[in-house]
Amino acid sequence: MKVSQAGKMALSAILSNKLRSFLTMLGIIIGVMAVTLLISIVQGASNTVTGQLDDLGGDQLIVQIINPTKRLTLSEVEALAEEEGVAYVSPTLGGNGTARAFGNSMDVSVSGITGSYKDVQGLDLESGRVITQTDNDYRLSVCVIGRKVATELFGTTACIGKNLRLNGKDYRIAGVLTEQVQTAVEDPNATVYIPLTNAQRLLSEVNVSLFYVAVEEEADMDAVKALLDRKLLAKYDDEDDYLIVNMADVIDIIDTIMGTLELLLAAIAGISLVVGGIGIMNIMLVSVTERTREIGIRKAIGAQRGDIIVQFMIESVILSLFGGIIGMAVSQAVLTTVNILHPGYNFAISFNTGAVALGFSILVGLVFGIYPAAKAAGLKPINALRYE
Amino acid sequence: MIELRDIKKIYQLGGEEVHALDGVSLVIEDREFVAVVGASGSGKSTLMNIIGCLDTPDEGAYFIDGQDVSDLSEHDQSIMRNRKIGFIFQQFNLLPKLTAYENVELPLIYQGVSSAERKERVTEALKRVGLENRMWHRPNQLSGGQQQRVAVARALVTRPALILADEPTGNLDSHSTGEIMELLKELHRAGNTLVLITHDDEIASEAPRRVRLFDGKVVADMRSDARKADGSSGTDFDGNAVADRNMKAAPAPVMRSGPGGGSPGGGSAGTVSGPGEESFIPEEDPEEVTDGR
Repeated sequence: MKVSQAGKMALSAILSNKLRSFLTMLGIIIGVMAVTLLISIVQGASNTVTGQLDDLGGDQLIVQIINPTKRLTLSEVEALAEEEGVAYVSPTLGGNGTARAFGNSMDVSVSGITGSYKDVQGLDLESGRVITQTDNDYRLSVCVIGRKVATELFGTTACIGKNLRLNGKDYRIAGVLTEQVQTAVEDPNATVYIPLTNAQRLLSEVNVSLFYVAVEEEADMDAVKALLDRKLLAKYDDEDDYLIVNMADVIDIIDTIMGTLELLLAAIAGISLVVGGIGIMNIMLVSVTERTREIGIRKAIGAQRGDIIVQFMIESVILSLFGGIIGMAVSQAVLTTVNILHPGYNFAISFNTGAVALGFSILVGLVFGIYPAAKAAGLKPINALRYE
Repeated sequence: MIELRDIKKIYQLGGEEVHALDGVSLVIEDREFVAVVGASGSGKSTLMNIIGCLDTPDEGAYFIDGQDVSDLSEHDQSIMRNRKIGFIFQQFNLLPKLTAYENVELPLIYQGVSSAERKERVTEALKRVGLENRMWHRPNQLSGGQQQRVAVARALVTRPALILADEPTGNLDSHSTGEIMELLKELHRAGNTLVLITHDDEIASEAPRRVRLFDGKVVADMRSDARKADGSSGTDFDGNAVADRNMKAAPAPVMRSGPGGGSPGGGSAGTVSGPGEESFIPEEDPEEVTDGR
């Protein structure tokens, strides 16, 4: 007998009891959904985080001064820009503040930056201009605000030239950022950027505790890091007083963590697939008992062991495969909905995830179909025909 | 042609040996129409299973078209059933979810016949049983008689060496019974070999040759004159010989006293269990013997 004929028989058996077939598939549907959803979400989140870090500057070093008693002055930091292999140095001075305008108020992050910040961090402006070197030179009270700050205080992003009051001091708004991705570390949407020299006064803090160093060539990263290390060690004598972080290393670490998490979640979700498989086996066994007479008739008119095995195996594989396809479709629908609701993310089932999930459902169908199929094929036609 | 030589089948029932078939020898020529008659427990179901390659004998040899099939593997048995035997069952045994057409098509699918040829043969078989207008009906949309005609079509679509009908009219009303018997006789006239298994002597009397089983043994083998009217190629000599054997082998009182008087409470599968079933043997036998002459 041809497999296509066995497929037809299996399909008609599945369609003849749609509710039961669906309930049987449900285990696989949920299993595949769990696997594909979890993996896709972890992958999506991982890509988003590493993408953000990459945007922050995969080609930059972050230097943090830990010892509060011995901080670097602005000129010391800016002098580092002259070193070999260094493209930009962007010192920042961070703090918190309250912004007010039109009777509205909002807690914001305050970030004192220099003209090179945009080159290093790459912020996108919706309108206006960025903080420049000139702003810093004259300690101008101007600011660039995040989108959320603009909408909360002014109800619109068209607020260039208006003033906001930050910790009791007036700042003229020079630029508004586009919607930025919020990261675990910072939310640019709720940040007010002001010239660093101005921030020194506002936050009563002269020294720079954190600065970013962009390298000219990514290949120079390690050399620049070693250079900074030498310079800072010479100044501090203690390597615990400062910390140099290579963003690319951070991205690698996150990738590794996410990869492990992905595997772990896939394994947990995989258990539900196995449970779904047991559900298929259970129903197939019931079905074999119910169809004892049918099997007897088929054998009496000439079906061979192999014919019956193939028929039942195909039935179980179709159940699990359809379950897998439906599960993936539902997953994709869920992910698409999430993507629409949260424009910052882009979740999708990768080809590999899809292939593994479908492959695994077929495997589940095969493995859990063998026993019922063998049981059906092993029925003796005389006994099976007598079965009521 | 099928030939059974000294077939024995023994079952173990609760530690007791039951000789379901106790040395049955039978030759059925091509184009013959034979009724195997017997009460329940006479061994006719076991005989049917063996003739139908659903079971193998413990002893003896069984030939279909000269091929020994008494010792076949399960796999070869199923091939035999598929190629050589067409089954007609008491319960029709159609697959309820398939249409009449698909039911008849099934044995051809298992044979691996091409779909074009299947279409031709299935249509032809359904025409032969007069159901060309009911091809796409499911069994539950057909009357009992029609369902059994579908089963007949399924049995003959493979052009088997032998059509084996097990109580084909057992579940039918008298009208449908007449229809099916007419159909079977027609198939016989058209050259098919038919074995009809029944407990009903009236049904059996429609067959030109009747084999009576009792306690796992052939106790009578009778041929009626109707056979000649059918134009089959029997000879008087055969008929006489059979009738002689019948007279010797069927001493009615012995048969009666054996199971009836022997074990009143022990009614195991190998013995005749009801008085009604016993009684028809002596009543009908003399008629048959005279018929045979």
